[in-house]
Amino acid sequence: MRIRFLHTEAFRLSAIYAGVFALSVLVLGSIVLVITDRAFRDQLVQFSSADIATIQAGYKGEGIDEAREVIEQSMAAPSTSDYFLLQQGKTRIAGNLPVMTPQTGTVSLPGASPGHDVLGVGAFLAPGLYAFAGSDLYRVHKAQQQIVQTVAWLFAAALLLAVLGGALVSRTFLRRSDAMGRACRAIMDGDLKARIPVRGTQDELDRLAGTINEMLDRIVALMENLRQVSNDIAHDLRTPVSQLRQGLERAKDGPGSEHAQALDAAIERTDGILALFAAMLRIAEIEGGKRRAAFANLDLAALLHHMHELFAPVAEAAGHRLAVAVAQDAEIRGDRALLIQLLSNLIENAILHTPPGTHIVLSLAQMDGRPALTVADDGPGVPAEEHAKLFQRLYRREASRTHPGHGLGLSTAQAIAELHGARIDVVPGAPGLGIRVLFPVSQKPSES
Amino acid sequence: MKLLLVEDDRETAGHIVDALQRHGHAVEHVDNGTLGLARAMTGEHTALIVDRMLPGIDGLTLVRQLRAEGYQIPVLFLTTMSGLDDRVEGLEGGADDYLVKPFAFVELLARVNAITRRSDGAEPTRLRLETLEIDLIRRTASRDGKAIELQPQEFRLLEYLLRNAGRVVTRTMLLENVWDLHFDPRTNIVETHMSRLRSKVDRGFTTELIRTLRGVGYILRAD
Repeated sequence: MRIRFLHTEAFRLSAIYAGVFALSVLVLGSIVLVITDRAFRDQLVQFSSADIATIQAGYKGEGIDEAREVIEQSMAAPSTSDYFLLQQGKTRIAGNLPVMTPQTGTVSLPGASPGHDVLGVGAFLAPGLYAFAGSDLYRVHKAQQQIVQTVAWLFAAALLLAVLGGALVSRTFLRRSDAMGRACRAIMDGDLKARIPVRGTQDELDRLAGTINEMLDRIVALMENLRQVSNDIAHDLRTPVSQLRQGLERAKDGPGSEHAQALDAAIERTDGILALFAAMLRIAEIEGGKRRAAFANLDLAALLHHMHELFAPVAEAAGHRLAVAVAQDAEIRGDRALLIQLLSNLIENAILHTPPGTHIVLSLAQMDGRPALTVADDGPGVPAEEHAKLFQRLYRREASRTHPGHGLGLSTAQAIAELHGARIDVVPGAPGLGIRVLFPVSQKPSES
Repeated sequence: MKLLLVEDDRETAGHIVDALQRHGHAVEHVDNGTLGLARAMTGEHTALIVDRMLPGIDGLTLVRQLRAEGYQIPVLFLTTMSGLDDRVEGLEGGADDYLVKPFAFVELLARVNAITRRSDGAEPTRLRLETLEIDLIRRTASRDGKAIELQPQEFRLLEYLLRNAGRVVTRTMLLENVWDLHFDPRTNIVETHMSRLRSKVDRGFTTELIRTLRGVGYILRAD
């Protein structure tokens, strides 16, 4: 069986980390070893030099006997040096070492047994009178052995910890990536509600899971939208298409003199169907969001005055009054043609769905530092419980069924608002019906 | 006028060719972009009508290449999509106008006429028809030497009519070019503004310059 965690990125990373760590333990251990060895040896040589100096001082003061006395006292006392020797020519006078060939300065001697070599200092007290003091290196070796052992343990422990840690980290990682995989597979198998579990730890995997979930929400929303649109289209088209068919059938059986009229009616009906298609496609295109590329800096006050000039005569002809009120100027990034369509839809609704004599006001103000465009009328209004439905696709109020339109005006307006990051809703408590578009606060126009 | 139509759908192409020929235009039809580009480069045609989706090279690429090679032939772009991005892309790509399929033939004819009017002379500072005159720099209008007070949008409407004097302009052309409205409004915007403009331009004069063509659009004409 393949051990899966060995193949995870987390394990690979911790293995590399462990390798580097172990290597540094080794290097560090070697350095410690070399340094301590040198320090130990230096210290031993220093002790031996001190002993030799004492012996030398004894000899200088009172002669060879005093030198021997010093050595014997040193050997009896718990001394720093282990070995001494005082020899005259080839004769040992004092000490616990056999007679040897005199060497001065720092001297290394092979020991009596392995691991017991001697390091010491030799000097001539007088011509032919040689003194030596030295230490058994056994203790140095022992200390070094301990250091090597410690380093080895550290090395092993580091490796073990790294492997265990790596395995643990990889298993956690694997468990979570498996959870992601399972969620994705569930979605592929048709469970669109499946989401990747988020642990709430705010780590990078959590954030990734969050982003993926948001993406899934968006995709599902778009799919739901699409499904809704196809349902709506199918539903909304059945009536005009069957009417078209009936009309054509009747004309076929009827007198030839009525053909031209029937054809005109058929064309008009077809145009209606095509217009519905166009409006649907447009909403889909706006919701697709590609249009944001065409955003430019826009002066909302100027746009509002443009809309006023455009619709004031139309409103007047229908017996309404259209006014414009700009409290504060505002610049945003947006798509002019689309915002014109948004405002046109709102203004046309107000003109078409209110009785003559209604006042319609286009206004621009600041709300919590955000530009707010409002189209409000003092007409009969819409009951509050119907407000949410107004933005539904193809929703038409009973009263407005006789007016031209498909029930897509506010859905289109909403799609355009959302493309601009704006919120569109009904102004609460207004006398008639007021629809407000609240743009986001961070719409600082960029230099262009 | 000799027109080049690049359209791959046989039925649509047949209808367009018929309609254009009935109105006295010679039409050459090719059904793919590669051939279309080659034919357009012969310089034999007055205008080019090109579909967005084509086998070979697509319509947008065709127009871009044509413009990159320096050809100034007027181009009308046909599209089947909802028209938002296509319009922007098409116009940026070098097309003079665009039309969303399906369209009424009067619309096609009016558009073709409108794009072929573009003269290569310098941009005029004044436009006139008989004694009706507008000053494009000072944004003033007069008829028979008497000043006409116009709102900015009324001026733009009159300017558009004058630029297309003698040619049919449709409702959609006015909506798009005068008011930047790229959708079908539910109120009679065009009719209302046109009647206001008429009352300022034609009232009190014997010759009516702005004429309504029922089911087609408007025409500004002297005779």
